[in-house]
Amino acid sequence: MQIKEKMENDVAVLTLKGDLLGEPDTSKVKDKIHSLVGDDVKKVVIDLGGVNYLNSSGLGTLIAALTTTRNAGGDLRLARVGDKVKNLFVITQLVKVFDTYETVERALSSFKTKP
Amino acid sequence: MKIHSQTEKLEFVRTFISEAAQQFGFDEDSVQNIVLAVDEACTNIIKHSYEYASNKDIDIRIMTDDHRFEIIITHQGKPFDPKSVEIPDMPAYLASYRKGGLGMYIMRAMMDEIEYKKLPNNITEVHLIKYLRNKISR
Repeated sequence: MQIKEKMENDVAVLTLKGDLLGEPDTSKVKDKIHSLVGDDVKKVVIDLGGVNYLNSSGLGTLIAALTTTRNAGGDLRLARVGDKVKNLFVITQLVKVFDTYETVERALSSFKTKP
Repeated sequence: MKIHSQTEKLEFVRTFISEAAQQFGFDEDSVQNIVLAVDEACTNIIKHSYEYASNKDIDIRIMTDDHRFEIIITHQGKPFDPKSVEIPDMPAYLASYRKGGLGMYIMRAMMDEIEYKKLPNNITEVHLIKYLRNKISR
């Protein structure tokens, strides 16, 4: 899995490409989030448009990322969640935990209206 | 099919299950759910029953009967009864941002029945069952 990082003002946008199913990909995401928070970047958007398949390890990684950013006083928002992944979010009721947006732009805007 | 207890091998399992479930007549969403449940069951075996030993065997068979699609996963690792895991109240569970136990929740949510059988010679079978509601009998 590939992770691309881009800064939009004080928000980091992480674009994931590939499946998030376990090691070493889950550690890559966790390390990236810890590195951002360590650099005082606490607002993160994860673009899931390039992720087709996710299992419980992948979900756990997203929950860990959410916890890390919120504990640091920031937040994690998800963008472009595909149908397959959305189905899993509904079944596990994670839709109630994550803020999800149709586009990266909308996720970025949400930090202005709901910091 | 038989695989070694390595998460990298699960890709082959996903393809095997996906093709069989499609052929049986499940729609795309159901196929994905079945594949995910089998993926989670095998991951549990690799992690908890074989404790990441990479040279152990996991055997996966499919048995079908009319509307019933059953996947039987056999291993010789530490016995693990999926029913022994308490299913959390998800909103409260997720509000505390815990992340363990999701796999079992997914397995139970995706399948109609899960059975666990302990057999002689340290063999354990996990049965994952899904019914095809709208199958036309021939």
